[in-house]
Amino acid sequence: MRLTAFLSMAAKVVLPKDYRYGMSRPWTEAAKKRNPLGKNRRKVFIEPIASQDWSVFKGDTVEILAGKDKGKQGKVVQVIRKRNWVVLEGLNTHFRYIGKTWDYRGTYIASEAPLLLENVTLIDPADRKPTPIEWKFTEEGEKVRVSSRTGRIIPKPISERCDGIVTQQWKDGPKDTSPDDTLEKTYVPSLKTLEEEVMERLGIQEQRRPRRSFWY
Amino acid sequence: MAATSAGRVLALCKQFHNVVRISSTIPSQNTGICLKKSSLARQNLLAGAACPICPVVQCRPLHTTISRMGLEEFFDLPENWGESTVKSGAPWTVTLLRSKSNEELHKLWYLLLKEKNMLLTIEQEAKRQRVSMPSPERLKKIERSMQRLDKVVEERETALRLLQTGQEYARPADWRRNLFGKVVWHRFREYAIPWYMNATYKRRRFYTPSFVKPHIRLRMEKNLRTRARQADLEKKQLAKLKEKFPQMKASS
Repeated sequence: MRLTAFLSMAAKVVLPKDYRYGMSRPWTEAAKKRNPLGKNRRKVFIEPIASQDWSVFKGDTVEILAGKDKGKQGKVVQVIRKRNWVVLEGLNTHFRYIGKTWDYRGTYIASEAPLLLENVTLIDPADRKPTPIEWKFTEEGEKVRVSSRTGRIIPKPISERCDGIVTQQWKDGPKDTSPDDTLEKTYVPSLKTLEEEVMERLGIQEQRRPRRSFWY
Repeated sequence: MAATSAGRVLALCKQFHNVVRISSTIPSQNTGICLKKSSLARQNLLAGAACPICPVVQCRPLHTTISRMGLEEFFDLPENWGESTVKSGAPWTVTLLRSKSNEELHKLWYLLLKEKNMLLTIEQEAKRQRVSMPSPERLKKIERSMQRLDKVVEERETALRLLQTGQEYARPADWRRNLFGKVVWHRFREYAIPWYMNATYKRRRFYTPSFVKPHIRLRMEKNLRTRARQADLEKKQLAKLKEKFPQMKASS
C-alpha cells in the first residue's frame, strides 16, 4: 500500500458505527473518557435532516421554544449537526467547577447546554419575532432563507471559517494572489498535453527515444 | 529557434514576460475573495540585470520569481520569524484552477512546492526545538491545492486521451480471473522483457483451479447473507426512526 495512503489512514479518526457524539471532539481526552473503545453506549436517535434543509448557522440569532430559558433570544455559538444540537451564548446554562485540583475547589463557571434544533426557531430581523423558515431561490439564483410569516429574506450571518478567515474582512498578504489574477481566465483548450506545451514554451527538445518495454 | 543563443535569451525573456502576467502587482479592489500563494514579488529587477542582451522592447521592469536567495527560500519571510500565528489565505479550488492555462499551472506547481518545502522545514525545526509550529494549517492548504492541481491536470489529460485514442485509463489494465475465483482489475506493470521470458510472471496463475469451486459457492452464500442482513437492519432502523419522528422526510 502507498505510504501516503497509509499515513492518512493512521491520521484519520476511526469511530464505531453507533458512536455517540458529545460536546467535545472525538479525538480529545474528554470524549475518549466518555466513549471508551470497546464500550457500546445506548443508542440515541437523531432525526435525519438533509444538509440542504439545515437552516441554523453559527452567528444566527434564534429564540428558544422550550426548556429553562424559554422565550429568550440568543446568538448561536456552535452547531453540532451529528446530534442536531445548537449551543447558544450564555443561555440554557448550568453551573460547574473547572480546573479542580486536590486542594483547590476550582473556578465556578456557567456552561451552556446544547439545545435540539426543534426547540429553537430563527428570528425575523425586522420585527424580532420567531418565524418558520423556507429555502427559496432569488432572481440571481442564490439560495436564501425566507421567513414564511413576513416573506423577508434572512441573510446568512458573517462568521469565521474554521481556518480563521472572515471572507468580508480579508486583506491579502504578500504571498496571496490578488483576486484579479486568480479570476483571470488564461486557459485555451488545445490538443497538446501540459508537458508538450511547457516543452514548447521553454524550447526543450527531447531527442531521446524511449526504450522498448512491455506491459503485463 | 531556441538553438541560437539569441533565441534562448528571447525564450528566457518571454518566460519572464509571462511570469509577470501571473505576478502582476496591479492594486485590485478587495472583492472579498481570499486566495493563497502566488508569486514572490521580492525584488524589482530591471530588464538589464535579468537579460542583458535582450532589447528593452521585449522586457520591462518586472518582478521575477527566479529568486537569487538560495537557502533563504527554505525559511519564511523575516517578519514572520517568532510569530505564533501566520496569516494565510484560502487554498486554490478546482474551479479556479480549471480556468488557468497549462503553463500557469506548471509554474504554480513549483511555487506551491517551494512553499511546501519551506513549511516542512519550519515543522521539522519546530520539532527539533520542541516548540509548536506556527499555523500548521498552511501545510494542509498547500497539500490540498497541489492535489487539486494534479486533479485538474489529470482531467485534461484524460479528456485528450479519450478524444485521440478512446482509452479511458492512462495505465494499461485488464479484467483477469485470480486464484480465488474473483475477476479483478489487474493493472499492468512495466517490464524490460516480454512475459514469455519472465519466469516469476509465468508462475502466477490467472485462472481458478477446480478445487476452489466449493469455496466460491460458500463465499457467494456469505455475501448474500450479509447483504440481506444489512438491508434488514436498515429497514428496521428506518422504521424505528419513523416511529420516533413521524414528520421526518423519507430520506435516511
